[in-house]
Amino acid sequence: MSQPSAKRASAGRHIAIAVTLVVLLLPFLWLLQMSFKTNDQILQFPPPLIFTPTLSNYASLWHSAFTDSFVNSLLSASFSTALALLLGVPAAYALSKWAGRGKHSLSFAILLTRMAPPIAFTIPFFLFYRWIGLLDTVTGLVLVYTSFNLPLVVWMMQPFFETVPASLEEAALVDGARTRTIFTKIVLPMVAPGIAATAILCFLYAWNDFFFALILTRTNARTAPVAVVNFMNYEGWEWGKIAAGGSLVMAPVLIFSLAVRRYLVSGLTAGAVKG
Amino acid sequence: MTEEGLLDAERRRFNRFALAPSLIVLLLIAGLPAIYLIVVSFTPFQLTEPGSATDFSSPLRNYQLLPADPRFVNSLWVQLKLSAFGVAFQVLLGMLLARLLNVPSRFVEFARTFFLIPMVLPPIVVAVIWKVLYTPDISPLYYAASLLHVAMPELTSSVDFALISIIIADTWEWLPFTFLMVLAALQTIPDEFSEAALVDGANRLQIFWYVTLPFISPVLLISGMFRLIDSVKAFPLIFLLTSGGPGSLTEVTNYYAYLLAFDTNEIGYSSAVTVVMLLLVAAVSLGLVWMGKRREGFA
Repeated sequence: MSQPSAKRASAGRHIAIAVTLVVLLLPFLWLLQMSFKTNDQILQFPPPLIFTPTLSNYASLWHSAFTDSFVNSLLSASFSTALALLLGVPAAYALSKWAGRGKHSLSFAILLTRMAPPIAFTIPFFLFYRWIGLLDTVTGLVLVYTSFNLPLVVWMMQPFFETVPASLEEAALVDGARTRTIFTKIVLPMVAPGIAATAILCFLYAWNDFFFALILTRTNARTAPVAVVNFMNYEGWEWGKIAAGGSLVMAPVLIFSLAVRRYLVSGLTAGAVKG
Repeated sequence: MTEEGLLDAERRRFNRFALAPSLIVLLLIAGLPAIYLIVVSFTPFQLTEPGSATDFSSPLRNYQLLPADPRFVNSLWVQLKLSAFGVAFQVLLGMLLARLLNVPSRFVEFARTFFLIPMVLPPIVVAVIWKVLYTPDISPLYYAASLLHVAMPELTSSVDFALISIIIADTWEWLPFTFLMVLAALQTIPDEFSEAALVDGANRLQIFWYVTLPFISPVLLISGMFRLIDSVKAFPLIFLLTSGGPGSLTEVTNYYAYLLAFDTNEIGYSSAVTVVMLLLVAAVSLGLVWMGKRREGFA
Protein backbone atom coordinates (compact mmCIF):
# COMPACT_ATOMS: atom_id res chain seq x y z
CA MET A 1 0.00 0.00 0.00
CA SER A 2 1.45 3.38 -0.94
CA GLN A 3 1.34 6.00 1.78
CA PRO A 4 1.19 9.73 1.15
CA SER A 5 3.98 11.62 2.84
CA ALA A 6 1.45 13.73 4.77
CA LYS A 7 0.50 10.69 6.83
CA ARG A 8 4.00 9.81 7.99
CA ALA A 9 4.31 9.58 11.76
CA SER A 10 5.62 12.68 13.51
CA ALA A 11 8.08 12.59 16.40
CA GLY A 12 5.33 13.75 18.76
CA ARG A 13 3.17 10.82 17.82
CA HIS A 14 6.03 8.39 18.35
CA ILE A 15 6.52 9.75 21.85
CA ALA A 16 2.79 9.54 22.57
CA ILE A 17 2.75 5.92 21.42
CA ALA A 18 5.78 5.02 23.52
CA VAL A 19 4.33 6.65 26.64
CA THR A 20 0.95 4.93 26.13
CA LEU A 21 2.69 1.59 25.72
CA VAL A 22 4.70 1.98 28.92
CA VAL A 23 1.63 3.05 30.94
CA LEU A 24 -0.44 0.19 29.54
CA LEU A 25 2.23 -2.40 30.31
CA LEU A 26 3.19 -1.12 33.77
CA PRO A 27 0.81 -3.44 35.69
CA PHE A 28 2.26 -6.40 33.83
CA LEU A 29 5.87 -5.30 34.34
CA TRP A 30 5.19 -4.71 38.04
CA LEU A 31 4.25 -8.35 38.57
CA LEU A 32 7.31 -9.45 36.62
CA GLN A 33 9.77 -7.41 38.73
CA MET A 34 8.00 -8.58 41.92
CA SER A 35 8.84 -12.16 41.05
CA PHE A 36 12.58 -11.32 41.36
CA LYS A 37 12.25 -9.69 44.78
CA THR A 38 12.28 -11.11 48.27
CA ASN A 39 9.12 -10.68 50.32
CA ASP A 40 10.83 -7.93 52.35
CA GLN A 41 11.70 -6.01 49.21
CA ILE A 42 8.13 -6.37 47.95
CA LEU A 43 6.77 -4.77 51.11
CA GLN A 44 9.37 -1.99 51.03
CA PHE A 45 8.27 1.52 50.04
CA PRO A 46 9.50 3.56 48.29
CA PRO A 47 10.13 0.57 46.04
CA PRO A 48 13.85 -0.02 45.46
CA LEU A 49 14.37 0.74 41.78
CA ILE A 50 17.76 -0.93 41.73
CA PHE A 51 17.91 -4.25 43.52
CA THR A 52 19.80 -7.50 43.14
CA PRO A 53 17.30 -9.80 41.46
CA THR A 54 16.81 -13.04 43.32
CA LEU A 55 15.70 -16.34 41.87
CA SER A 56 14.68 -17.64 45.30
CA ASN A 57 10.97 -17.44 44.49
CA TYR A 58 11.43 -19.54 41.38
CA ALA A 59 13.70 -21.95 43.24
CA SER A 60 11.16 -22.56 45.99
CA LEU A 61 8.47 -23.16 43.34
CA TRP A 62 10.74 -25.69 41.65
CA HIS A 63 10.93 -27.69 44.88
CA SER A 64 7.19 -27.60 45.54
CA ALA A 65 4.04 -29.22 44.20
CA PHE A 66 3.84 -26.38 41.70
CA THR A 67 6.05 -28.40 39.32
CA ASP A 68 3.39 -31.14 39.21
CA SER A 69 0.72 -28.56 38.48
CA PHE A 70 2.83 -27.13 35.70
CA VAL A 71 3.23 -30.59 34.19
CA ASN A 72 -0.54 -31.17 34.49
CA SER A 73 -1.16 -27.94 32.60
CA LEU A 74 1.31 -28.97 29.89
CA LEU A 75 -0.18 -32.45 29.56
CA SER A 76 -3.83 -31.45 29.45
CA ALA A 77 -3.23 -28.59 27.02
CA SER A 78 -1.01 -30.68 24.71
CA PHE A 79 -3.24 -33.73 24.59
CA SER A 80 -6.42 -31.77 24.00
CA THR A 81 -4.65 -29.85 21.21
CA ALA A 82 -3.51 -33.10 19.59
CA LEU A 83 -6.97 -34.67 19.88
CA ALA A 84 -8.71 -31.59 18.50
CA LEU A 85 -6.32 -31.44 15.52
CA LEU A 86 -6.60 -35.15 14.80
CA LEU A 87 -10.39 -34.99 14.64
CA GLY A 88 -10.87 -31.44 13.41
CA VAL A 89 -8.40 -31.07 10.54
CA PRO A 90 -9.98 -33.72 8.25
CA ALA A 91 -13.43 -32.39 9.13
CA ALA A 92 -12.42 -28.85 8.20
CA TYR A 93 -11.05 -30.11 4.87
CA ALA A 94 -14.30 -31.91 4.08
CA LEU A 95 -16.32 -28.82 5.05
CA SER A 96 -14.17 -26.49 2.94
CA LYS A 97 -15.03 -28.57 -0.15
CA TRP A 98 -18.67 -28.86 0.75
CA ALA A 99 -21.20 -26.09 0.26
CA GLY A 100 -24.17 -27.86 1.80
CA ARG A 101 -27.06 -26.23 3.59
CA GLY A 102 -25.87 -27.47 6.96
CA LYS A 103 -22.82 -25.24 6.81
CA HIS A 104 -24.52 -22.19 8.28
CA SER A 105 -26.16 -24.00 11.17
CA LEU A 106 -22.84 -25.70 11.83
CA SER A 107 -21.02 -22.37 12.06
CA PHE A 108 -23.67 -21.15 14.51
CA ALA A 109 -23.18 -24.28 16.60
CA ILE A 110 -19.44 -23.59 16.61
CA LEU A 111 -20.09 -20.01 17.65
CA LEU A 112 -22.32 -21.17 20.51
CA THR A 113 -19.69 -23.50 21.96
CA ARG A 114 -17.31 -20.55 22.05
CA MET A 115 -19.84 -18.09 23.45
CA ALA A 116 -21.32 -20.28 26.16
CA PRO A 117 -20.08 -19.39 29.65
CA PRO A 118 -17.89 -22.25 30.96
CA ILE A 119 -20.33 -22.94 33.79
CA ALA A 120 -22.86 -24.23 31.25
CA PHE A 121 -20.51 -27.13 30.49
CA THR A 122 -19.05 -27.40 33.96
CA ILE A 123 -22.24 -28.53 35.71
CA PRO A 124 -22.94 -31.49 33.38
CA PHE A 125 -19.26 -32.45 33.20
CA PHE A 126 -18.94 -32.28 36.98
CA LEU A 127 -21.94 -34.54 37.52
CA PHE A 128 -20.83 -36.98 34.83
CA TYR A 129 -17.21 -37.13 36.02
CA ARG A 130 -18.35 -37.62 39.59
CA TRP A 131 -20.36 -40.58 38.39
CA ILE A 132 -17.67 -42.30 36.29
CA GLY A 133 -14.71 -41.22 38.42
CA LEU A 134 -13.00 -38.77 36.07
CA LEU A 135 -12.91 -35.93 38.61
CA ASP A 136 -9.39 -34.73 39.34
CA THR A 137 -7.83 -36.50 36.34
CA VAL A 138 -5.88 -35.10 33.39
CA THR A 139 -8.06 -37.22 31.07
CA GLY A 140 -11.11 -35.38 32.32
CA LEU A 141 -9.51 -32.02 31.59
CA VAL A 142 -8.43 -33.16 28.11
CA LEU A 143 -12.04 -34.06 27.24
CA VAL A 144 -13.42 -30.73 28.49
CA TYR A 145 -10.78 -28.72 26.66
CA THR A 146 -11.49 -30.64 23.46
CA SER A 147 -15.12 -29.48 23.67
CA PHE A 148 -14.01 -25.95 22.85
CA ASN A 149 -10.81 -26.70 20.91
CA LEU A 150 -12.43 -29.00 18.34
CA PRO A 151 -14.91 -26.33 17.11
CA LEU A 152 -12.01 -23.86 17.02
CA VAL A 153 -9.95 -26.18 14.77
CA VAL A 154 -12.87 -26.79 12.41
CA TRP A 155 -13.44 -23.04 12.14
CA MET A 156 -9.83 -21.91 11.88
CA MET A 157 -8.66 -24.50 9.34
CA GLN A 158 -11.33 -23.97 6.66
CA PRO A 159 -9.89 -20.73 5.20
CA PHE A 160 -6.46 -22.37 4.99
CA PHE A 161 -7.88 -25.26 2.94
CA GLU A 162 -9.69 -22.80 0.69
CA THR A 163 -6.35 -21.27 -0.30
CA VAL A 164 -5.10 -24.56 -1.79
CA PRO A 165 -5.51 -24.22 -5.58
CA ALA A 166 -8.20 -26.58 -6.88
CA SER A 167 -6.10 -27.25 -9.99
CA LEU A 168 -3.50 -29.07 -7.89
CA GLU A 169 -6.07 -31.48 -6.52
CA GLU A 170 -7.67 -31.94 -9.95
CA ALA A 171 -4.34 -32.77 -11.52
CA ALA A 172 -3.77 -35.47 -8.91
CA LEU A 173 -7.30 -36.79 -9.45
CA VAL A 174 -6.61 -37.13 -13.19
CA ASP A 175 -3.49 -39.11 -12.32
CA GLY A 176 -5.77 -41.50 -10.48
CA ALA A 177 -4.94 -40.55 -6.88
CA ARG A 178 -7.58 -41.19 -4.24
CA THR A 179 -9.02 -38.36 -2.18
CA ARG A 180 -7.31 -39.69 0.93
CA THR A 181 -3.92 -39.66 -0.79
CA ILE A 182 -4.50 -36.14 -2.13
CA PHE A 183 -5.41 -35.00 1.37
CA THR A 184 -2.39 -36.47 3.13
CA LYS A 185 0.25 -36.06 0.41
CA ILE A 186 -0.68 -32.76 -1.29
CA VAL A 187 -3.11 -30.69 0.78
CA LEU A 188 -1.82 -31.26 4.31
CA PRO A 189 1.80 -30.17 3.62
CA MET A 190 0.46 -26.99 2.02
CA VAL A 191 -1.56 -25.99 5.08
CA ALA A 192 1.16 -26.86 7.60
CA PRO A 193 1.61 -23.22 8.72
CA GLY A 194 -2.15 -23.01 9.33
CA ILE A 195 -2.05 -26.17 11.39
CA ALA A 196 0.81 -24.76 13.44
CA ALA A 197 -1.07 -21.51 14.13
CA THR A 198 -4.26 -23.39 15.03
CA ALA A 199 -2.35 -25.74 17.31
CA ILE A 200 -0.83 -22.82 19.19
CA LEU A 201 -4.23 -21.17 19.66
CA CYS A 202 -5.73 -24.43 20.95
CA PHE A 203 -2.85 -24.87 23.35
CA LEU A 204 -3.25 -21.33 24.65
CA TYR A 205 -7.00 -21.64 25.21
CA ALA A 206 -6.53 -24.82 27.20
CA TRP A 207 -3.50 -23.44 29.03
CA ASN A 208 -5.37 -20.28 30.02
CA ASP A 209 -8.34 -22.12 31.46
CA PHE A 210 -9.02 -21.49 35.11
CA PHE A 211 -12.69 -22.24 35.68
CA PHE A 212 -12.85 -25.86 34.50
CA ALA A 213 -9.69 -26.76 36.38
CA LEU A 214 -10.97 -25.03 39.52
CA ILE A 215 -14.13 -27.15 39.58
CA LEU A 216 -13.01 -30.43 38.02
CA THR A 217 -9.69 -30.94 39.81
CA ARG A 218 -8.59 -31.12 43.46
CA THR A 219 -4.95 -32.11 44.03
CA ASN A 220 -3.81 -34.80 41.57
CA ALA A 221 -4.66 -33.00 38.33
CA ARG A 222 -4.49 -29.44 39.62
CA THR A 223 -3.24 -27.09 36.89
CA ALA A 224 -0.78 -24.22 37.25
CA PRO A 225 -3.39 -21.38 37.19
CA VAL A 226 -5.28 -22.99 40.08
CA ALA A 227 -2.03 -23.63 41.95
CA VAL A 228 -1.10 -19.93 41.76
CA VAL A 229 -4.44 -18.97 43.30
CA ASN A 230 -3.95 -21.53 46.04
CA PHE A 231 -0.82 -19.68 47.17
CA MET A 232 -3.18 -16.92 48.21
CA ASN A 233 -5.45 -19.06 50.29
CA TYR A 234 -3.27 -21.42 52.22
CA GLU A 235 0.31 -20.34 52.30
CA GLY A 236 -0.03 -16.97 53.98
CA TRP A 237 0.12 -14.55 51.06
CA GLU A 238 3.61 -15.21 49.82
CA TRP A 239 3.62 -12.48 47.24
CA GLY A 240 7.01 -13.42 45.82
CA LYS A 241 5.83 -16.96 45.11
CA ILE A 242 2.53 -15.71 43.72
CA ALA A 243 4.36 -13.34 41.35
CA ALA A 244 6.84 -16.03 40.28
CA GLY A 245 4.04 -18.56 39.72
CA GLY A 246 2.05 -16.03 37.71
CA SER A 247 5.12 -15.20 35.63
CA LEU A 248 5.74 -18.87 34.90
CA VAL A 249 2.12 -19.36 33.86
CA MET A 250 2.28 -16.44 31.44
CA ALA A 251 5.70 -17.28 29.97
CA PRO A 252 4.60 -19.84 27.35
CA VAL A 253 1.61 -17.69 26.48
CA LEU A 254 3.74 -14.64 25.72
CA ILE A 255 6.19 -16.59 23.58
CA PHE A 256 3.55 -18.44 21.59
CA SER A 257 1.08 -15.65 21.10
CA LEU A 258 3.67 -13.34 19.65
CA ALA A 259 4.33 -16.08 17.11
CA VAL A 260 0.67 -16.25 16.05
CA ARG A 261 -0.41 -12.64 16.53
CA ARG A 262 -1.74 -12.55 12.95
CA TYR A 263 -4.32 -15.16 13.82
CA LEU A 264 -5.26 -13.97 17.29
CA VAL A 265 -8.34 -12.12 16.14
CA SER A 266 -9.68 -14.82 13.85
CA GLY A 267 -9.34 -17.24 16.76
CA LEU A 268 -11.17 -14.91 19.12
CA THR A 269 -13.99 -14.14 16.71
CA ALA A 270 -14.39 -17.74 15.55
CA GLY A 271 -17.85 -18.45 14.22
CA ALA A 272 -19.05 -14.98 13.39
CA VAL A 273 -16.48 -13.06 11.36
CA LYS A 274 -14.26 -14.41 8.62
CA GLY A 275 -10.62 -14.23 9.71
CA MET B 1 -21.82 -45.65 -13.53
CA THR B 2 -19.55 -43.11 -15.27
CA GLU B 3 -16.01 -42.49 -14.15
CA GLU B 4 -16.99 -39.09 -12.79
CA GLY B 5 -19.80 -40.61 -10.77
CA LEU B 6 -17.34 -43.07 -9.29
CA LEU B 7 -15.01 -40.23 -8.34
CA ASP B 8 -17.89 -38.36 -6.74
CA ALA B 9 -18.88 -41.39 -4.74
CA GLU B 10 -15.31 -41.86 -3.57
CA ARG B 11 -15.13 -38.20 -2.62
CA ARG B 12 -18.39 -38.36 -0.70
CA ARG B 13 -17.23 -41.42 1.18
CA PHE B 14 -14.04 -39.60 2.16
CA ASN B 15 -16.07 -36.59 3.34
CA ARG B 16 -18.25 -38.82 5.48
CA PHE B 17 -15.21 -40.45 7.05
CA ALA B 18 -13.59 -37.09 7.64
CA LEU B 19 -16.65 -35.49 9.22
CA ALA B 20 -18.16 -38.33 11.22
CA PRO B 21 -15.62 -38.55 14.08
CA SER B 22 -15.76 -34.81 14.76
CA LEU B 23 -19.55 -34.72 14.69
CA ILE B 24 -19.86 -37.72 17.00
CA VAL B 25 -17.32 -36.36 19.48
CA LEU B 26 -18.90 -32.90 19.43
CA LEU B 27 -22.30 -34.42 20.05
CA LEU B 28 -20.90 -36.37 23.00
CA ILE B 29 -18.86 -33.64 24.68
CA ALA B 30 -20.86 -30.53 23.75
CA GLY B 31 -24.35 -31.59 22.65
CA LEU B 32 -25.11 -34.07 25.41
CA PRO B 33 -23.87 -31.81 28.24
CA ALA B 34 -26.05 -28.99 26.90
CA ILE B 35 -29.09 -31.27 26.86
CA TYR B 36 -28.29 -32.61 30.30
CA LEU B 37 -27.98 -29.07 31.67
CA ILE B 38 -31.53 -28.34 30.48
CA VAL B 39 -32.80 -31.63 31.93
CA VAL B 40 -31.23 -30.92 35.34
CA SER B 41 -32.72 -27.42 35.32
CA PHE B 42 -36.17 -29.07 35.55
CA THR B 43 -35.27 -30.84 38.81
CA PRO B 44 -34.66 -29.65 42.38
CA PHE B 45 -31.31 -31.52 42.27
CA GLN B 46 -29.06 -31.12 45.30
CA LEU B 47 -25.89 -33.18 45.65
CA THR B 48 -26.75 -34.04 49.24
CA GLU B 49 -30.13 -35.50 48.32
CA PRO B 50 -29.87 -38.56 46.13
CA GLY B 51 -32.98 -39.09 44.05
CA SER B 52 -33.57 -35.39 43.61
CA ALA B 53 -31.71 -35.61 40.26
CA THR B 54 -34.62 -37.49 38.71
CA ASP B 55 -37.47 -35.68 40.45
CA PHE B 56 -39.52 -34.14 37.63
CA SER B 57 -42.69 -33.62 39.72
CA SER B 58 -42.71 -29.85 39.22
CA PRO B 59 -40.41 -29.22 36.26
CA LEU B 60 -40.90 -25.47 36.01
CA ARG B 61 -40.43 -24.75 39.72
CA ASN B 62 -36.89 -23.38 39.31
CA TYR B 63 -37.93 -21.06 36.53
CA GLN B 64 -40.91 -19.81 38.51
CA LEU B 65 -38.63 -19.01 41.46
CA LEU B 66 -36.24 -16.92 39.35
CA PRO B 67 -38.19 -13.65 38.93
CA ALA B 68 -38.82 -13.45 42.68
CA ASP B 69 -35.19 -14.22 43.63
CA PRO B 70 -33.66 -10.86 44.59
CA ARG B 71 -30.10 -12.18 44.21
CA PHE B 72 -30.82 -13.37 40.67
CA VAL B 73 -32.47 -10.10 39.64
CA ASN B 74 -29.63 -8.18 41.28
CA SER B 75 -27.05 -10.31 39.45
CA LEU B 76 -28.60 -9.38 36.12
CA TRP B 77 -28.34 -5.70 37.02
CA VAL B 78 -24.73 -6.05 38.11
CA GLN B 79 -23.95 -7.86 34.86
CA LEU B 80 -25.68 -5.14 32.87
CA LYS B 81 -23.68 -2.40 34.61
CA LEU B 82 -20.40 -4.27 34.29
CA SER B 83 -21.00 -5.09 30.61
CA ALA B 84 -22.30 -1.67 29.60
CA PHE B 85 -19.45 0.33 31.14
CA GLY B 86 -16.77 -2.22 30.30
CA VAL B 87 -17.79 -2.50 26.65
CA ALA B 88 -18.22 1.28 26.28
CA PHE B 89 -14.74 1.99 27.66
CA GLN B 90 -13.13 -0.78 25.63
CA VAL B 91 -14.67 0.33 22.34
CA LEU B 92 -13.96 4.00 22.97
CA LEU B 93 -10.38 3.60 24.20
CA GLY B 94 -9.69 0.88 21.64
CA MET B 95 -10.76 3.27 18.90
CA LEU B 96 -8.57 6.09 20.24
CA LEU B 97 -5.60 3.75 20.52
CA ALA B 98 -6.15 2.44 17.00
CA ARG B 99 -6.27 6.01 15.65
CA LEU B 100 -3.04 6.79 17.48
CA LEU B 101 -1.26 3.76 16.05
CA ASN B 102 -2.64 3.97 12.52
CA VAL B 103 0.54 5.38 10.99
CA PRO B 104 2.99 3.77 8.58
CA SER B 105 6.17 3.29 10.58
CA ARG B 106 8.40 0.33 11.26
CA PHE B 107 8.69 1.28 14.92
CA VAL B 108 4.92 1.50 15.38
CA GLU B 109 4.39 -1.83 13.64
CA PHE B 110 6.88 -3.37 16.05
CA ALA B 111 5.24 -1.67 19.05
CA ARG B 112 1.75 -2.88 18.07
CA THR B 113 2.58 -6.42 19.11
CA PHE B 114 3.34 -5.32 22.66
CA PHE B 115 0.00 -3.57 22.95
CA LEU B 116 -1.60 -7.02 22.69
CA ILE B 117 0.00 -8.40 25.84
CA PRO B 118 -2.88 -7.77 28.31
CA MET B 119 -5.29 -9.68 26.07
CA VAL B 120 -3.13 -12.78 25.66
CA LEU B 121 -2.20 -13.13 29.33
CA PRO B 122 -3.99 -15.97 31.12
CA PRO B 123 -7.09 -14.37 32.69
CA ILE B 124 -6.05 -15.60 36.11
CA VAL B 125 -2.69 -13.83 35.78
CA VAL B 126 -4.54 -10.62 34.91
CA ALA B 127 -6.53 -11.12 38.09
CA VAL B 128 -3.32 -11.65 40.09
CA ILE B 129 -1.80 -8.48 38.59
CA TRP B 130 -4.79 -6.40 39.66
CA LYS B 131 -4.97 -8.13 43.02
CA VAL B 132 -1.45 -6.83 43.62
CA LEU B 133 -2.36 -3.33 42.44
CA TYR B 134 -5.46 -3.26 44.66
CA THR B 135 -3.72 -4.53 47.81
CA PRO B 136 -2.67 -1.45 49.85
CA ASP B 137 0.41 -3.09 51.50
CA ILE B 138 2.24 -3.80 48.26
CA SER B 139 0.55 -1.64 45.63
CA PRO B 140 2.48 1.15 43.90
CA LEU B 141 -0.90 2.84 43.33
CA TYR B 142 -1.49 3.24 47.07
CA TYR B 143 2.10 4.37 47.55
CA ALA B 144 1.68 7.02 44.85
CA ALA B 145 -1.59 8.16 46.45
CA SER B 146 0.10 8.47 49.85
CA LEU B 147 2.83 10.65 48.30
CA LEU B 148 0.08 12.95 47.06
CA HIS B 149 -1.53 12.85 50.54
CA VAL B 150 -4.64 11.20 49.14
CA ALA B 151 -6.21 8.55 51.33
CA MET B 152 -7.30 5.93 48.83
CA PRO B 153 -10.03 3.59 50.13
CA GLU B 154 -9.59 -0.14 49.74
CA LEU B 155 -11.16 -0.28 46.30
CA THR B 156 -12.21 -3.90 46.04
CA SER B 157 -14.05 -3.97 49.36
CA SER B 158 -15.56 -0.52 49.03
CA VAL B 159 -19.28 -0.17 48.34
CA ASP B 160 -18.64 2.66 45.90
CA PHE B 161 -15.59 1.37 44.05
CA ALA B 162 -15.76 -2.46 43.98
CA LEU B 163 -17.57 -2.67 40.66
CA ILE B 164 -15.46 0.13 39.21
CA SER B 165 -12.27 -1.71 40.17
CA ILE B 166 -13.50 -4.76 38.22
CA ILE B 167 -14.44 -2.59 35.23
CA ILE B 168 -10.97 -1.01 35.22
CA ALA B 169 -9.23 -4.39 35.25
CA ASP B 170 -11.57 -5.80 32.61
CA THR B 171 -11.02 -2.78 30.37
CA TRP B 172 -7.25 -3.11 30.71
CA GLU B 173 -7.46 -6.77 29.75
CA TRP B 174 -9.69 -6.40 26.70
CA LEU B 175 -8.77 -3.02 25.29
CA PRO B 176 -6.28 -4.71 22.90
CA PHE B 177 -9.09 -6.72 21.33
CA THR B 178 -11.18 -3.73 20.24
CA PHE B 179 -7.94 -1.94 19.34
CA LEU B 180 -6.90 -4.77 16.99
CA MET B 181 -10.28 -4.95 15.28
CA VAL B 182 -10.63 -1.19 14.81
CA LEU B 183 -7.05 -0.88 13.56
CA ALA B 184 -7.70 -3.56 10.91
CA ALA B 185 -10.77 -1.61 9.79
CA LEU B 186 -8.95 1.73 9.74
CA GLN B 187 -6.31 0.26 7.47
CA THR B 188 -8.90 -0.63 4.83
CA ILE B 189 -10.03 3.00 4.40
CA PRO B 190 -8.60 4.26 1.11
CA ASP B 191 -6.49 7.40 1.63
CA GLU B 192 -8.26 9.04 -1.32
CA PHE B 193 -11.38 9.47 0.81
CA SER B 194 -9.84 11.71 3.44
CA GLU B 195 -7.68 13.44 0.84
CA ALA B 196 -10.77 14.33 -1.18
CA ALA B 197 -12.41 15.64 1.98
CA LEU B 198 -9.29 17.69 2.76
CA VAL B 199 -9.39 19.22 -0.70
CA ASP B 200 -13.03 20.11 -0.10
CA GLY B 201 -11.93 22.01 3.00
CA ALA B 202 -13.03 19.61 5.73
CA ASN B 203 -11.23 19.86 9.08
CA ARG B 204 -9.90 16.85 10.96
CA LEU B 205 -12.97 16.49 13.16
CA GLN B 206 -15.24 16.57 10.14
CA ILE B 207 -13.12 13.99 8.36
CA PHE B 208 -13.36 11.72 11.40
CA TRP B 209 -17.12 12.24 11.73
CA TYR B 210 -18.13 11.95 8.07
CA VAL B 211 -15.43 9.72 6.56
CA THR B 212 -13.77 7.55 9.19
CA LEU B 213 -16.66 6.87 11.55
CA PRO B 214 -19.13 5.56 8.96
CA PHE B 215 -16.36 3.26 7.72
CA ILE B 216 -15.53 1.76 11.10
CA SER B 217 -18.95 1.84 12.80
CA PRO B 218 -19.84 -1.75 11.77
CA VAL B 219 -16.56 -2.93 13.31
CA LEU B 220 -17.19 -0.89 16.45
CA LEU B 221 -20.58 -2.56 16.76
CA ILE B 222 -19.28 -6.08 16.08
CA SER B 223 -16.29 -5.84 18.40
CA GLY B 224 -18.57 -4.34 21.06
CA MET B 225 -20.96 -7.25 20.75
CA PHE B 226 -18.14 -9.76 21.02
CA ARG B 227 -17.04 -8.07 24.20
CA LEU B 228 -20.63 -7.97 25.42
CA ILE B 229 -20.93 -11.74 25.01
CA ASP B 230 -17.56 -12.41 26.61
CA SER B 231 -18.17 -10.02 29.49
CA VAL B 232 -20.63 -12.60 30.80
CA LYS B 233 -17.61 -14.84 31.45
CA ALA B 234 -15.66 -12.39 33.63
CA PHE B 235 -15.03 -14.99 36.30
CA PRO B 236 -11.36 -14.92 37.40
CA LEU B 237 -11.42 -11.17 38.09
CA ILE B 238 -14.48 -11.37 40.29
CA PHE B 239 -13.35 -14.59 41.93
CA LEU B 240 -9.99 -13.18 42.96
CA LEU B 241 -10.68 -9.47 43.49
CA THR B 242 -14.07 -9.22 45.19
CA SER B 243 -15.64 -12.71 45.46
CA GLY B 244 -18.89 -11.04 44.43
CA GLY B 245 -18.77 -8.65 47.35
CA PRO B 246 -19.10 -6.44 49.25
CA GLY B 247 -22.50 -8.02 49.87
CA SER B 248 -23.58 -8.95 46.37
CA LEU B 249 -22.52 -5.70 44.73
CA THR B 250 -20.25 -7.39 42.19
CA GLU B 251 -22.10 -10.70 42.00
CA VAL B 252 -22.79 -11.20 38.29
CA THR B 253 -25.12 -13.97 37.10
CA ASN B 254 -22.21 -16.22 36.14
CA TYR B 255 -20.75 -15.93 39.64
CA TYR B 256 -24.14 -16.44 41.29
CA ALA B 257 -24.65 -19.63 39.27
CA TYR B 258 -21.16 -20.79 40.36
CA LEU B 259 -21.92 -20.15 44.04
CA LEU B 260 -25.27 -21.92 43.78
CA ALA B 261 -23.83 -25.05 42.18
CA PHE B 262 -20.47 -25.41 43.89
CA ASP B 263 -20.92 -23.59 47.18
CA THR B 264 -24.49 -24.32 48.24
CA ASN B 265 -25.01 -27.49 46.13
CA GLU B 266 -28.20 -26.19 44.50
CA ILE B 267 -27.33 -27.88 41.20
CA GLY B 268 -30.88 -27.86 39.78
CA TYR B 269 -31.54 -24.22 40.50
CA SER B 270 -28.07 -23.20 39.31
CA SER B 271 -28.74 -25.00 36.02
CA ALA B 272 -31.90 -22.96 35.54
CA VAL B 273 -29.95 -19.75 36.13
CA THR B 274 -27.33 -20.94 33.63
CA VAL B 275 -29.96 -21.82 31.01
CA VAL B 276 -31.43 -18.31 31.23
CA MET B 277 -27.92 -16.88 30.88
CA LEU B 278 -27.28 -19.12 27.85
CA LEU B 279 -30.49 -17.95 26.19
CA LEU B 280 -29.44 -14.31 26.61
CA VAL B 281 -25.97 -15.06 25.19
CA ALA B 282 -27.49 -17.00 22.28
CA ALA B 283 -29.78 -14.06 21.45
CA VAL B 284 -26.82 -11.68 21.25
CA SER B 285 -24.83 -14.25 19.23
CA LEU B 286 -27.66 -14.57 16.71
CA GLY B 287 -27.61 -10.81 16.27
CA LEU B 288 -23.88 -10.98 15.74
CA VAL B 289 -24.12 -13.68 13.06
CA TRP B 290 -26.82 -11.68 11.32
CA MET B 291 -24.66 -8.57 11.34
CA GLY B 292 -21.59 -10.50 10.19
CA LYS B 293 -23.55 -11.76 7.19
CA ARG B 294 -24.81 -8.29 6.33
CA ARG B 295 -21.26 -7.01 6.48
CA GLU B 296 -20.01 -9.73 4.16
CA GLY B 297 -22.74 -8.64 1.78
CA PHE B 298 -21.37 -5.11 1.81
CA ALA B 299 -17.76 -6.05 1.28
